[in-house]
Amino acid sequence: MRSARRKPYMAGYTVKGALVGYSFILPNFIGFLFFILIPVVFSFVLSFAKWDGFNAMQFIGVRNFTLIFTDRVFKNSLSKTIGYTVFTVICTMVLSLFLSVVLNNKLKGRDLFRSAIFFPYVASIVAVGAVWQAMFQKDFGPINTFLRAVGMTNPPGWFASTKYAMTALIIVSVWKFMGYYMIIYLAALQDIPRQLYEAATIDGANAWQQFRRVTVPMLTPATFFVFIMLTINSFKVFDLVYVLTEGGPGISTTVLVKYIYDQSFIAWNYGKASAASMVLFSIVAVVTVIQFRIERKWTSFM
Amino acid sequence: MKKTLTIILVVMITMTSIFAAGTKESAAGGVTTIKLANWDTSTMAYIPALISAFEAKNPTIKVEVIDIPSADYVTKLNVMLNGGSDLDAFYIKEADKAKEFFDKGQLADLTGYAAADKIDLASFNGTDKTFTFDGKLSALPARTDFYVLFYNKDIFDAAGVAYPSNDMTWTEFEQVAAKITTGSGATKKYGALFHTWQALVMNWGVQDGKHSIMDGSYGFFKPYYEMLLRMQRAGTVMDYATLKTSNIHYSTPFIQGNVGMLPMGTWFMSTVIDKIKSGESTVRWGVATIPHAADVPAGYTVGSTTPIAVNNASKKKDAAWKFASFVTSAEGAAIYAKYGQIPATATAETLEAIASMDGMPAGVVEALKVTNISPDRPAMDKVGVVDQMLGEEHSLIMLGENSIDKGLAEMAARFKEVTRD
Repeated sequence: MRSARRKPYMAGYTVKGALVGYSFILPNFIGFLFFILIPVVFSFVLSFAKWDGFNAMQFIGVRNFTLIFTDRVFKNSLSKTIGYTVFTVICTMVLSLFLSVVLNNKLKGRDLFRSAIFFPYVASIVAVGAVWQAMFQKDFGPINTFLRAVGMTNPPGWFASTKYAMTALIIVSVWKFMGYYMIIYLAALQDIPRQLYEAATIDGANAWQQFRRVTVPMLTPATFFVFIMLTINSFKVFDLVYVLTEGGPGISTTVLVKYIYDQSFIAWNYGKASAASMVLFSIVAVVTVIQFRIERKWTSFM
Repeated sequence: MKKTLTIILVVMITMTSIFAAGTKESAAGGVTTIKLANWDTSTMAYIPALISAFEAKNPTIKVEVIDIPSADYVTKLNVMLNGGSDLDAFYIKEADKAKEFFDKGQLADLTGYAAADKIDLASFNGTDKTFTFDGKLSALPARTDFYVLFYNKDIFDAAGVAYPSNDMTWTEFEQVAAKITTGSGATKKYGALFHTWQALVMNWGVQDGKHSIMDGSYGFFKPYYEMLLRMQRAGTVMDYATLKTSNIHYSTPFIQGNVGMLPMGTWFMSTVIDKIKSGESTVRWGVATIPHAADVPAGYTVGSTTPIAVNNASKKKDAAWKFASFVTSAEGAAIYAKYGQIPATATAETLEAIASMDGMPAGVVEALKVTNISPDRPAMDKVGVVDQMLGEEHSLIMLGENSIDKGLAEMAARFKEVTRD
């Protein structure tokens, strides 16, 4: 009975066949092995060691973790990263959903608007950084000129202020990435069967009710994807911070990856950098697992 | 799976160390090519000049420059050395990083070479001591830069104020800045410009040669933060927040003639000459010795020395040493001077040579006769992280986010944290 059961599963299994199969994944796996798997495992090992990249490694147990959790820069970067993530995720999701719904209607110049909103996503981050630095310039930047024109006597200092630098960063990030998520929402919107709306119309549902009861539920898988990607990408933010603020003023925009960068390439302390990377990895892993659990409940009606 | 990974890791690590340790000197038949790391070589005409003079003298050695953008230089150099690159010699852009390279065993010990070639270490004016660790001469001082005061003669003439002397106190400096500040808005002429680097405040604290940024308590910066913030409020210097958020390079306001005085390094002299030659600037400029505190003698300044080092892992150490000793010899010094750079072995003659360079204003030679150069960042362990921390706290004080006292207290508290491990 046992062997009879196993047979279909193992049917056609030969060493040769397996080797052929492995050879197909080999080119990709080699890349994965050398550029992802080995560095990740190595980083895990390093998080328990003291290493400057050249001299012999010393294993020091969990000391790196005690060091970073008593480091004000690390603790600050952790809370800043979480704040950045929460606001970026919420604002980007709301705005990209709104834009996709608007631009899914028949509208004059629709393609132009779609391209215009998608454009920041493909623009070089360094160029974007230079432009936004000028936009947010505190004395004569267009944004503060506008704020003064509408009657604000003392507009924020943006990148010259510890209070507003993070806000400015979030604004730039939302602006840059909402176009990409808008495209994902647009694709999902166009997949919703028209019959659902027709049926809802016959039942007498108004536009808001149709949006609330048809569009939003039907977009759940897309929303879930957007949510996960945004969360992960927000936790990993670095380039935007590096070109816009370099983590300043002070340490007010030093996010986790900037901290990891500083520990690796300024302090040459790969151990602390790896320990911080492991913290980042666990946060992203935990958030993702929770989101997958929730997704199963959300999409159970489908 | 775990075993395989362990094996792969072990193999990778041992391979790295094998390459890093290097092998015997390879005597390639005929010409030996050595690789020299440098940054922004296109802006340093003296590097090709040094190389061609060296190659003419040593026909069996060729020098190949590995050029790296200045902003990436220190990181790239570290990665190359850690990765066991076949680099033979390199300039250390930030002299304070020399100790870190030494700690990692990446600097060849030059003591023996120097003794064998009978190099007179006294000719380095004491700068060689900065790069002697545990009694080992680990790099040769090549070029020296120090802070001087650049000034715009037109602005002084217009205000009817005498040009800055080579013996001026910071108090006098502040008063002069107020006298020569005129106008408002886009045509305003500022008395002075302090660039946004923390060095432009902290240097005046370490100028006395007694303090350093590695002291761990920073009360000695206080008078200079007070001075800068006072001048900022009075509008006699350009505002820190504006400079920072507009990414204004220090050279722009000076060469455009919008600031009266600019404390800056001697490297800026050749920039001004070039900008005037290319027609980008018509500024009538002068150079004076940097101002000093009342209790610090005139002629005391802050600076840094750019040394050249030989990679300990190099297979061509002898050839690399020949190049390093050539650029720091009297012959090399003459080439530096010819291009307006101050060699570490500067003598009265080299200073004269620099001052007689085409485009130099009169009086430079007196301004350059300094008596003491304190290192802006001493070559010590942890100086990189301390410097970064000081930069962060500096911006908070200058933006008015922290009071001076709070900022200085934070520096001291964070000094303990960042040097702890």
